[in-house]
Amino acid sequence: MLSLDRASLRYGPILGLSPTSFELPGGGGITGLLGPNGAGKSSLLQLVSGLLPPSGGAVRVFGEAPFRNPAVLARVGLVPEGDRLPTGLRADRWLRMMGELSGLSGEGLKAAMARALQTVGMADRSHLTFARMSKGMRQRMRLSQALLHEPELLILDEPFNGLDPEARLTLMALLRDLAEKGTRILVSSHILGEIAQLTDRILLLFRGRLLAEGTVTEIRQLLDRHPVELRLTGEAQVLARWAVEQPELAALRMEEEAVVLSVRSPRDFLPRLQQAAAEGAIPLRALDPLDLNLDAVFQYLTKDHA
Amino acid sequence: MNAAPSPLATIRATALGYAPRVLQGRGWVLAGLVILPVGLSILIFTIVRMQGGDASSAEAVKVFHEVLVKMMLPIMALVAAPAGIREDLEQRTLPLLLTRPAPAWALPLGKGLPWFLWGSAWLALGVLGLQILGGDPGLLPVRILALVGAWWGELALMTLVGLVFKRGTLWGALYFFLWEPLVRIFPPSLQRLTFTHHIESLAGSRAAEVQSSQLLAQEQVTTHPALAFLALLAIGALCWALAGWKLQRTPIGLAGSEAEG
Repeated sequence: MLSLDRASLRYGPILGLSPTSFELPGGGGITGLLGPNGAGKSSLLQLVSGLLPPSGGAVRVFGEAPFRNPAVLARVGLVPEGDRLPTGLRADRWLRMMGELSGLSGEGLKAAMARALQTVGMADRSHLTFARMSKGMRQRMRLSQALLHEPELLILDEPFNGLDPEARLTLMALLRDLAEKGTRILVSSHILGEIAQLTDRILLLFRGRLLAEGTVTEIRQLLDRHPVELRLTGEAQVLARWAVEQPELAALRMEEEAVVLSVRSPRDFLPRLQQAAAEGAIPLRALDPLDLNLDAVFQYLTKDHA
Repeated sequence: MNAAPSPLATIRATALGYAPRVLQGRGWVLAGLVILPVGLSILIFTIVRMQGGDASSAEAVKVFHEVLVKMMLPIMALVAAPAGIREDLEQRTLPLLLTRPAPAWALPLGKGLPWFLWGSAWLALGVLGLQILGGDPGLLPVRILALVGAWWGELALMTLVGLVFKRGTLWGALYFFLWEPLVRIFPPSLQRLTFTHHIESLAGSRAAEVQSSQLLAQEQVTTHPALAFLALLAIGALCWALAGWKLQRTPIGLAGSEAEG
């Protein structure tokens, strides 16, 4: 369905995406594109959705180059990053136009609009102008235009940004449902938790390079090798004595009324810490993760790959 | 899989989709640019007449050439063109259109068409208003044709300039307010590269009004009215086509910027 063969993208002198190769099989399923801001996720999605041609290598979607290629674009739906929509237009009229630009007309267009609006839960609010819609509603409308022509490949760039938890869960359920019905979904995010809830397959990007590819479990194992810094506030001496006995401890630093631990496999360490605190074995008042962000993890992985 | 829409279907869908935009603020500014000067002239003309003053019918010619052609028409193009395809580029909504299977080259014309029709209607109304000032009824159709033809060309030119240059409005203003006024001192070959020349060839020449103090004034050439109208249409068509070609071949990403590829 989708293949990149040493595809790269340059923005003038800046390299947006290093030569990257991977393939996505046909059929339904969700693939997550994970990486911190500036990793090259949007660059990759722009290549795949036909917005930009590669500066080098080749991109093939349904066997053809997607840039300005109607045969490919008719089978692809894109939800770009952000919540930008044309100002001053009514959502339903705009959706009609997008349907016509997708080659739909007449009764087919009406049915497609009704189906897409129903799917995203906007059937009763599509008469509003975009200016009167909340961020979540605008995001749903952006998704509805991508679903209108029932694409075989649906591409979403950071779709959860700015959504409240309820809207996030609704969107996740919707994407899972579409994937089960046979749509191949490529979704980008810089938050591992979001991707992990959604996908069966992850592509890990960092600084324009494809760093790793695998299942959520494989990526988790890779990330577990990265020592995570935690600050434990309480009686520092007692906390330190307990910590040095833990097999996951990689380093320890004392602070006033706190101890900073560098811990491998936090998924094994944290439940044990929680249990010890609950049983009163350690005088723990607060726990602060210091570098649980993806940036730190990616920096670690980059060193690992160097 | 749906078939990709034809260029005509694309133009129709885009024009109808964006048509409501002309009924918003910018559209009424456009209408005001025609109606306010004409209305004001009519008001002054009426007051002078009521007071028994001498209100010449040449006033209509003056308002047409000096106000509508030289001032308002270029300002209308400078106001309307940024609401065309340039707006999608700046608001970063262009990727939504460019990832549809519709031909990208048809989008600038589709987005410009509602503005052209809206502006044309008000220009025609403005020229009709000039009849109250004593405009020559025989010149009414050609004046409307001249303004509508020039509006078509100037709007298309500004759309193209807006896609080619980041500061399209500035370049457009320089063209309209520095290059066009030079028509009086241009040699014949350069006179034909101005909208003013074609408008005057169609709607009546003002050569007699060139003052003796204008030492650099050149002999004014004229083009057959039909050819002048065709030239305006052709300039417009060429600019729409070039704008479409530019959009079709330029990689425009989510940031609205171009990639090297």
